[in-house]
Amino acid sequence: MFAYSLNLATLICINAVLAITLNFIIGYAGIFSVAHAIFFGVGAYTAANVALYVNGSMFVAVPIAMAAAAALSLALALPALRVRGEYFIAASLGLQVIGVTVFSEWKSATGGIGGLIGIPPANLFGRDIVDPVEFLVLAATCLALTVLVIGVLVRSSFGRNLKAIRDSESAALAAGKNVALIKTLSVVLSSSLAAVAGALYAFYLSFINVESFTLDTSVLLTAMVIIGGTGTRLGPLVGAALLMLLPGLLSYLWFLPPTEIGSIQQIIYGAAMVLLMIFRPGGIVGSRAGAR
Amino acid sequence: MLLLQLLINGIQLGALYALTAAGFSLIFGSTRVFHFAHGSAFAIAAYLFYFFYAVAGAGWPVAALAATVAAVVFGVAVDRFIYAPIQRHEGSFFTVFVASFGIAIVVQNLIGMIFGRGFVSVPTALSRSIEITPGLYVSPLAGIAILCAVAFFVGLHLFLTRTHVGFALRALAENPELVRTYGLSPRLLSSYAFALGSLLVVPSALLTSASTGLNPAVGSDIMLVSLAATIVGGVGSLRGAACAGLLLGLGQNLALWRLVSQWSDAVTFVVLFLFILFRPSGFFGRAVTS
Repeated sequence: MFAYSLNLATLICINAVLAITLNFIIGYAGIFSVAHAIFFGVGAYTAANVALYVNGSMFVAVPIAMAAAAALSLALALPALRVRGEYFIAASLGLQVIGVTVFSEWKSATGGIGGLIGIPPANLFGRDIVDPVEFLVLAATCLALTVLVIGVLVRSSFGRNLKAIRDSESAALAAGKNVALIKTLSVVLSSSLAAVAGALYAFYLSFINVESFTLDTSVLLTAMVIIGGTGTRLGPLVGAALLMLLPGLLSYLWFLPPTEIGSIQQIIYGAAMVLLMIFRPGGIVGSRAGAR
Repeated sequence: MLLLQLLINGIQLGALYALTAAGFSLIFGSTRVFHFAHGSAFAIAAYLFYFFYAVAGAGWPVAALAATVAAVVFGVAVDRFIYAPIQRHEGSFFTVFVASFGIAIVVQNLIGMIFGRGFVSVPTALSRSIEITPGLYVSPLAGIAILCAVAFFVGLHLFLTRTHVGFALRALAENPELVRTYGLSPRLLSSYAFALGSLLVVPSALLTSASTGLNPAVGSDIMLVSLAATIVGGVGSLRGAACAGLLLGLGQNLALWRLVSQWSDAVTFVVLFLFILFRPSGFFGRAVTS
């Protein structure tokens, strides 16, 4: 039971990092991306490869993973600068589909469908973090840092610019803001922080394959942000915790057939998205009726 | 000969894509609702056809009728009971999209639970391919697909240009405010758009169940292609969506000439990326960059 709780807490921390960074672009920049799992994946595969073949230290693997995700995110930022919301959703869906194909076909870097096995444990200051309690502390620290970085950014002038662009792009442009630069920076930042979560995930499980980075994952992350409350500070945390606890809670319901739990879980969050949009578009935490 | 085979397969697939894409484009163009659950209407029609025809043993006209009714009722009900309440208090594009996304998730999983997550197909007498010349196999379904696509597009064109509802739908796409001033109800027209758009997925749903088969994710696969075709063709242009659907079907099949089949979806999205980057207004669309 203790091991189970530890595992769940660690996974909640990792997913919360993803939800917070996704909320940063959806909630504050108004850029709706359904490709977050790809940046998560790029972070995981890059960190795993660096740790396997170059250097096991987290201070080497994580920055390289972040750089790789940041570079790829430019591919997403490029259309984001040019087109409106609905086009961007299509573009991010495209990146998600192409990304999954590359993850499962580029066998030398990703191990194909079988994935990468035997990833060494996270190494911090020359010490391997193998104890689950220590790893939870590490994941929680990363989560705290992410909350801090995003919190500071949202309150800074950069965050105010972002919200201005979300609410009215032309007004922000007229006020002399460099809309293109601000949007690009927000996408790059969000993606590179998602790569941190990817690196943590790879070190934690010591095994990764494409299953963890599919459209389903992106949808789950989007659901976390929306159900928790877009554009709120607590929302993504609440959403991540709720949706990660859901499978465990469902398994307590003895009358549900175990093989259907995955489907039931998806139906619950799908229905929650629909009902929230009708009755409370701001999400659980959000208070504003007019959240976007 | 392989190339000719792929060309014919591509046209068959493209004709089906063209129809679903036209449905999505019609809904999106006239109501501005990003109807992500359009693929769900497809999956519902296809699975009901499978259930009535292959499982319950009803005749194909009964099964086709049931599938048609189900798809149209689904489309109109989603518009009436989910999109309309959202638009009443706050019409933001994003909110409606999220709800639509939720519906698609629910439908896909319900289908998985009811019909199983595996692959099912509807074997018909027409599904078998015939060797026309040595090495070239064509099933009669290819011809039916092309005929259906042509018939539906001619019908749709006549409907939009010759009837009052058709006029009103095109007017709604141009200027909803003016439509209201003119005394027409955008709400009612929106129901027409959803009924018509959902109707357009039926032929391709039936033909897909008889040719390549179905799995619960078929709705989202079709949705992704329709979305790509709508943008490549130009938002609001049915002609564009049809041409783009055909192009994507051809592209996916011709890609098999040089690439393994896992890449065929990626081909669609590479085309989409190129269009978004270099020609966001699509083939026939008006400029839409913000």
